[in-house]
Amino acid sequence: MAETKKIILKGRKVIGGKAEGEALVSQEPLMGWLNVNPQLGCTTERNHPLCGVSFKDKILVFPTPRGSGGFVSYGTTVNYNTNPAAFIYTKGNNLTIFASLVAQIPTVTDLDQDPLEIIETGDYVKVDGDLGIVEVIKSVG
Amino acid sequence: MYLTDEEKRILDGEKGEIAQRSMSFLVEYGEAAGAERLIDIDGTVDVHPLADWIPQYAVTLDEVRELVKKGERFKVPTFANKPVAPGFIIDGWEKCGLPKNSDPEYRRKNMEALQPYIDMGMIPIFSCNYYLVSSFLPTVGQHCAWVESSAIPWANAILGARTNFDGCFHTAYLGKVPAYDMHLDENRRATVLVKCETELKSDIDYDLFGWAVGEAVDLEVPALVGIGKPTTSQLVKMNSALNTGGQVRMYHVPGLTPEAPTVEAAFQGNYQREISITRADLRRVYDKLNYATKEDVDFVYLGCPHYNIYDICRAAKLLEGKKCKTLLWIMTNPSSYQVAERMGLRKIIEDAGGVLLSGSCPGALLETPPMKVMATDSAKQNYYLTGMFYPEKLDVWYGSMEECINAAITGKWSSDWR
Repeated sequence: MAETKKIILKGRKVIGGKAEGEALVSQEPLMGWLNVNPQLGCTTERNHPLCGVSFKDKILVFPTPRGSGGFVSYGTTVNYNTNPAAFIYTKGNNLTIFASLVAQIPTVTDLDQDPLEIIETGDYVKVDGDLGIVEVIKSVG
Repeated sequence: MYLTDEEKRILDGEKGEIAQRSMSFLVEYGEAAGAERLIDIDGTVDVHPLADWIPQYAVTLDEVRELVKKGERFKVPTFANKPVAPGFIIDGWEKCGLPKNSDPEYRRKNMEALQPYIDMGMIPIFSCNYYLVSSFLPTVGQHCAWVESSAIPWANAILGARTNFDGCFHTAYLGKVPAYDMHLDENRRATVLVKCETELKSDIDYDLFGWAVGEAVDLEVPALVGIGKPTTSQLVKMNSALNTGGQVRMYHVPGLTPEAPTVEAAFQGNYQREISITRADLRRVYDKLNYATKEDVDFVYLGCPHYNIYDICRAAKLLEGKKCKTLLWIMTNPSSYQVAERMGLRKIIEDAGGVLLSGSCPGALLETPPMKVMATDSAKQNYYLTGMFYPEKLDVWYGSMEECINAAITGKWSSDWR
């Protein structure tokens, strides 16, 4: 059995609840409106490293939002059952808040370490939205 | 979050169920934002009519009609941005060539649906740059609730008013908004000095510069130096790109914007770093936006953000006596459409085979005329439309108004931007 390493990040609750799953990490900011497709459950921004990559059931980790208030469409993914299991972001604003309020999925931000430096795509992540705690489980070796 | 006694009573339902629902929205939103209190809007509200941020708190049209019957009105001056739920064309729709939008019944129904909001006092400007024609703007320090990427920096940076991206029925109805982020002094100070090391001349120079800055600073507040004396059209483009290529809600231009008479005033001791933007940065963005390989253009779109009346004058001059080989749409706000009509500009555009439209854009309509290769002078529209077409690939060129109109006349893309 592969060994694992556990890292705990502490942040601020945006939306409560618990979720866990595999991390999908975007090193680039995420853009909404027409550059996210809620039916397909993926970003459709050309040139974006995650263009076309499904975020369904993933713990979606990203630095910041950018662009239109249509960022809320990351939240309307719940209407198509393509939504991420949780959101973790370095710094947000009301765009990220609205997406989370629509989706009502656990969301944590303002963490004590930059999640983009700690979490890698494929890590297993447990999010406790109420406590603002993110547990990152990495396979070692 | 702290609530005043009056706010608590609204939350308890004393002022009716819609006020209670609106207050519940503001409280849930404010708590998620980490806001400590609500603030009274003493400026203006800008809404995408009928578009609810959070469906759980939606107010139906029947409910709005009931409020109107009881004599209720929006508490603060409230302006309509372009409709997006759904988007539809306000003027010129008869000639747009889109099956749904050229159907009079479709337009009638959509206009009728907006009537309850208008009866509540919403002023039907129907434009993303409503601030250019609304005749009533917030002044320095006033708290607002606006929407639209390009409008948010206009409110915060150009006017010195204070807004997040949260205009909606609820903020207009209660005249309140969570007090956080752009409403608070400490978040409006610059942290990053941006030195523009290339002379910005053309309109698209400002578009490209805004995009490059946005990419570099994300949510930070920059102080921009060396940007010359932009025109209104150039500022609108720069704002649009700042808040598309990045998430710049607020910036300072020392000596130009009201909160920063000097560089020191922009930072107020909060300086953290400095970056430079060169012609090479503009070139990189320009190459990113020219996402096409085929030279034969079949659709040209101008007017994102909506063209102002002087933009239309310039476009009409370029088109006068010419014939377009491609479809050409020029989109403006409904107010400028009327002025363009009076000036004979609509006729000049139509005689050249173009169409003057108002109140929407392909992104808001969620469709374009049938086409394979388009050209536009808007970084924002350019970058979103390829997402709308995904997984189909849209070929899209980006260049100046002159280059786009030249493409419409010749049917071929060519550019000499440097």
